[in-house]
Amino acid sequence: MISKQMLKFIGRRLIFLLITYIVATTIVFILPRVIPGNPLNQILSRLSQVAQANPEQIRAAEKTLMEQFAFDKPWYVQYFDFLGNALKGDLGTSVSYYPRKVLDLVIPVLPWTLLLLLPATIVAWFLGNSLGALAAYRRNSWIDKGVLTTSLIVSQIPYYWLGMIFIFFFGVKLGILPVGGAYSQGSFPNWSWSFVLDVLKHYILPFASIVVSAMGGWAIGMRLMVIYELGNDYVRFSEALGMNDKRIYKYVFRNSLLPQITGLALSLGGALGGALITEIIFNYPGTGFLLFRALTSLDYPLIQGIFVILIASIYLANFIVDFIYAVIDPRIRLGQEE
Amino acid sequence: MFKNMFKPLFKSKKFIIGLSIVLFFILLGIFGPMIYRVDPTEMTWDMEQAPSSTHPLGTDTYGRDILAQLLYGIRSSLYVGFLAALISLVIGTIVGTFSAVRRGITDDLLMSFTNIVLTTPSILIAILIASYLDVRSIEMIAVILGLFQWPWFARAIRAQLMSVLSREYVYLSKMAGYGDFRLIVEDLIPTIATYAFMSFVLFINGGIMGEASLSLIGLGPTEGISLGTILQWSVMMDAIRRGLWWWFVPPGIAIVAVTASLLIISTAMDEVFNPILREE
Repeated sequence: MISKQMLKFIGRRLIFLLITYIVATTIVFILPRVIPGNPLNQILSRLSQVAQANPEQIRAAEKTLMEQFAFDKPWYVQYFDFLGNALKGDLGTSVSYYPRKVLDLVIPVLPWTLLLLLPATIVAWFLGNSLGALAAYRRNSWIDKGVLTTSLIVSQIPYYWLGMIFIFFFGVKLGILPVGGAYSQGSFPNWSWSFVLDVLKHYILPFASIVVSAMGGWAIGMRLMVIYELGNDYVRFSEALGMNDKRIYKYVFRNSLLPQITGLALSLGGALGGALITEIIFNYPGTGFLLFRALTSLDYPLIQGIFVILIASIYLANFIVDFIYAVIDPRIRLGQEE
Repeated sequence: MFKNMFKPLFKSKKFIIGLSIVLFFILLGIFGPMIYRVDPTEMTWDMEQAPSSTHPLGTDTYGRDILAQLLYGIRSSLYVGFLAALISLVIGTIVGTFSAVRRGITDDLLMSFTNIVLTTPSILIAILIASYLDVRSIEMIAVILGLFQWPWFARAIRAQLMSVLSREYVYLSKMAGYGDFRLIVEDLIPTIATYAFMSFVLFINGGIMGEASLSLIGLGPTEGISLGTILQWSVMMDAIRRGLWWWFVPPGIAIVAVTASLLIISTAMDEVFNPILREE
């Protein structure tokens, strides 16, 4: 099933993403070094402002930062050390959670973010595309106008603000859903029914706020795609042949969905950004929450580590989407991509 | 020429509604603080008060007037959006045009670079850069956001220019001995102008949303008030769970109203200028 052309396509994408990853880590490397003044001193003086009462922690931080940034070595040695470590997955030691490793801090919170972001994004994608296609089939009807107008407004609502409104309305006013966290305080993650139910209850609001506000954009895009697609010759030809509408719509839907798959890959970054802030609003113990804590305590190794891991995850997701695309679209499978 | 071009726009109900709302907010941002002369930073003893006649939108934890904050916030959020959009538009146009005109290795390199930036989530890079800056002015936020949202525009401009450059009227202009400059002004710019304007409008949205995102994560402008910083304060003071709706609802409505109206303007323009989408 996997043809030579497809392997070539996948190979090309893999090389591209690897280069992109190296560029991204290079940015992480360059930034603290191009900011004027001695960045290490600057970081340390800011750290001492934040963590005033704890000289021991500052000394530990100093040691870690000296080791990690290693400004005394020539820049190319620093660079290749950094790149090698990043590719190996060694992201250094956290300053604010000293002496814990950055990777050990990020790994346990990552599943929460994925659990929130992936299902919400996929559900929003399906619902939005179906709504958009429906609107396009019934072009200029009240369904079309309703879907378009609502989508235009809803697509511009930031996830986190909708989250705030949901917390206020369902959590505070009506009091029917929890106002934050991933599970009730005092309970510990386990696989009992009551805990899973508790997690689900805490899941509804952040999930719903992402689904609702992400849906609109997909509906707008899909509506346009289907309108374009309906203008194609094959649609007129099929109509002339007397093919029933349902069958034509099926073909049109499938063809219009293809660009939306590429769109899904490209939108993941923005969706991740929104989800990170939604986590902060909901006190959801995911990567966004950890990033927020790292930012407030100026834990640069942790900030950089989270950045590198999130970027790598986005690239991986991109690759998976490319792969799915190649499986679905015969033009890529047969090597006629351009 | 331009007068006739824009005439059909004003027959579109969507366009008029979108434009009116945007203009309303622009006027509110410019003249609002001059008419409603309350210092948004002044702390009073009226703490966390619900909307009343003395404070039309209530006050925050420090007794600062929310309406005054909102007016200044609209002003700076629009400013950030506009500035970021300008930066993105310029970078995108330069990269896209060079790619299309030069072709060959320049095109390959520029497009690889564009794809790298496109694949990398701009908000994450913005967070990373902002975290290294001690003091962040509103202009700096705009630059950070503007530097990374141009790639899709550069690709679209490149594609459009390439298709225009292979059309007959461009060959004719070349045969007629038009110089590069005249070719660009007369043949190329009119074809990409509407698309560029529609993209500019969406870039403004990117800037406004980006500023709010950065602020909420604690990396917004360190001076001045923006819609994002008002939201951030409300989150820091737990206004949501304590039911102080007048604090976090208005800035969100302002963000959605402005960005949705801009999107509606862009959609309406697409419907007017794009023959496939034109409503019969």
